[in-house]
Amino acid sequence: MSGNPLDKRYAVLGAMLIAPTVLIFCAVIIYPLVSALYLSLFTIFTPTLRGNFIGLGNYAYLANSPEFWRSLWNTLLWTVCTLTLQIVFGVAAALMLHQNIVFRSLARSLILFPYFVSTVVAVLVWRWLFNDLYGVMNHLMLMAGLIKMPLDWLGSMPNAMISIILVGAWKYFPFVVIAVLARLQTIPDALYEAAKIDGAGAWSRFVDITLPQLRDVLVVVVLLRAIWDFKEFDLIYLLTGGGPIIATQTLPLMVYKDAFGLNDMGRASAVAVSMMLVMLSFMVLYLKLAGRGERESQR
Amino acid sequence: MSKTISQPGHRVSRRAVLAGLGAAGGMAAAGTMPTPATAQTVTLRWWSPQTAPAQREAYNFQIQTFEAANPGVKVNFEATSDEGYPAQMAAAFASGQVPNVVTHLPSFAVSSYWQNGLLEPFNDVINMIGPQNFFEGANRIYEVAPGQYAGTGIGGSAANMMWLRTDLMREAGLTTPRTWDQLRAACQRLQRAPVFGAPLPYARNSMTSLIFISFVHGAGGSIFTPDLQVNVDNDAFRNALEFYKSMREFCPPGATNYSWGDSLTAFVSGATATGIYTGRVLANVAQQNPRIADFVTCQPYPTISTSVPHWTFNDFPSVMIPKGAPNLDITKRFAAHLFRADGYIRQLHAAPGHVLPVLKTVYESAAYQENALIKKYAADVQIMSQQASAGHNLGWETVRHKPNTKAGQIIASHVFAEAVQRYVGANEPMAQVVSGVARRLEELMRA
Repeated sequence: MSGNPLDKRYAVLGAMLIAPTVLIFCAVIIYPLVSALYLSLFTIFTPTLRGNFIGLGNYAYLANSPEFWRSLWNTLLWTVCTLTLQIVFGVAAALMLHQNIVFRSLARSLILFPYFVSTVVAVLVWRWLFNDLYGVMNHLMLMAGLIKMPLDWLGSMPNAMISIILVGAWKYFPFVVIAVLARLQTIPDALYEAAKIDGAGAWSRFVDITLPQLRDVLVVVVLLRAIWDFKEFDLIYLLTGGGPIIATQTLPLMVYKDAFGLNDMGRASAVAVSMMLVMLSFMVLYLKLAGRGERESQR
Repeated sequence: MSKTISQPGHRVSRRAVLAGLGAAGGMAAAGTMPTPATAQTVTLRWWSPQTAPAQREAYNFQIQTFEAANPGVKVNFEATSDEGYPAQMAAAFASGQVPNVVTHLPSFAVSSYWQNGLLEPFNDVINMIGPQNFFEGANRIYEVAPGQYAGTGIGGSAANMMWLRTDLMREAGLTTPRTWDQLRAACQRLQRAPVFGAPLPYARNSMTSLIFISFVHGAGGSIFTPDLQVNVDNDAFRNALEFYKSMREFCPPGATNYSWGDSLTAFVSGATATGIYTGRVLANVAQQNPRIADFVTCQPYPTISTSVPHWTFNDFPSVMIPKGAPNLDITKRFAAHLFRADGYIRQLHAAPGHVLPVLKTVYESAAYQENALIKKYAADVQIMSQQASAGHNLGWETVRHKPNTKAGQIIASHVFAEAVQRYVGANEPMAQVVSGVARRLEELMRA
């Protein structure tokens, strides 16, 4: 085989054809990753990108920084809570839209609206709704006699964390709807008919047929949304700026503050690398658990 | 596998396609591909965080007059923001994609960038404008070494003026408060649902930090000693925190998330009886709530006692040219053009009293004074001008202080805003809050 000149030419052609992909991969994945790792070993003044080598000094600082641990906790709390709500609302909405309801096509289009609207616009609308003096939320609650004074939705805890989690769930649950609805439409009706004949009720059909059928798509959806939620920046930054104090400051906000507020690109890179490691560990664990669950269900 | 790519009517070998693509790539890389001819134009980029619609109109006029006088030059205006400019500037410097002219950033940003070698000297521009046209001492804050200027002011501002509703004050039988105790008493009398006493910010942002700094000075203290040692473990700092906390009950619940815009709107809409802002209040009241236009006035913000003088926060809105800005000569001409009377007055009139003139020739001109709001509120504008001319900021706390080139980073760190939130919102002990601020300030000054 090695002596065949045609095979050699094909091997070279193959390498040439794959080269652009490899180059692009190196440029957009490997280079930023290595750069972040490299920068995290320095103290770097962001505007000039000049600095000094300090080895693992940034990581040692983070290990002893209550701000870093609090931000990590906030990130995990935000991710878990908003993702859970997205899945619950997303699956519920998909099931509803899978039924023969009036204006189904219109409803299917409208439900995607939060996902398509720009985050800045969505946040402006929500800030207006949450406004203490003119916001609809407080106005309705005051009128209903539920509260005597307007609620401080974004400036005090735990309201601020609850608010960003709810807005996050509202903004991103349509992604779950799209994915789940697509899968629901491919589940054979015969499965449900057989279950009905066997006397299975609606809940049993959902638990024993629908959920197992959705398993694969939910694994992917949870994985993708967890990654995206973990690194969410704009929605949280625009809603609370990380406050009060650092009660809603997540790791991406800390990266931004260190890199551009405090002009310390080295420390910001260390936070970013730590973020990546945390996310990687959770993803590996999650995929292992998901794989094990799948194997067990196949037995 | 076929070695050809077929299309109706054409039959091209795969090798030919690859060869063609390779050749095209090579030609493109060598710059031999024919390109359409374009006219020679110079494009300048102008950044500013002051972007209200009326101001944008004034900027457009200045851009048009400059472009008309300099054929082949195009000026693009790009908006930044008070909270976002540190990030945008840092990214611009780091990438080498700097704007040509940056206006309206606080003076301490100029000092910080200059100290790091990131600005072009500004003497040429000042000479084009005419140093004799500026108010006496207007450029002192930008004189980074004897005779060497890093930028210049495009205006002055009195950011912490106390705004009052004279109708509500009269109804309550109140006179203008001079001290904090009097202000608290006034807010107590004026606070009647749905009107709150004051719109002070308690958020994690620059406004809270800047207002708190003004309270420290209002308590007779300063954040740093004149030689820039941290100076927060004292009664003045504690009194400022206590005052801020005592005002919380007079502010709307959502003040924990207030920034400049929210605070301004609260007063202009009539939701609060007092306000704290620059002269932008005048234009906004005229446009958005003319019902109260005859009943608003301003005074310097009260201090802890009559023996402590007023301290006005002036961020000295600046003009600077980043190092590495392309087309330096035309850039300097454009920076000087921003002070040409016709455009400059339009800019000032876009928000009368908000940005106050630094050119005495403009201030004294009939064209500037011929403005309905400036005429109507002449006394208020005069007070703001006086306060702004004697104003300071964290970059230059008093006339005795050295310039603090770390001021921008200190504000961006939110150390003061967080101190307010810790003491007022989270009820942390005073000693813990003060020691935390001292430690972080020392870290920031050392960094």
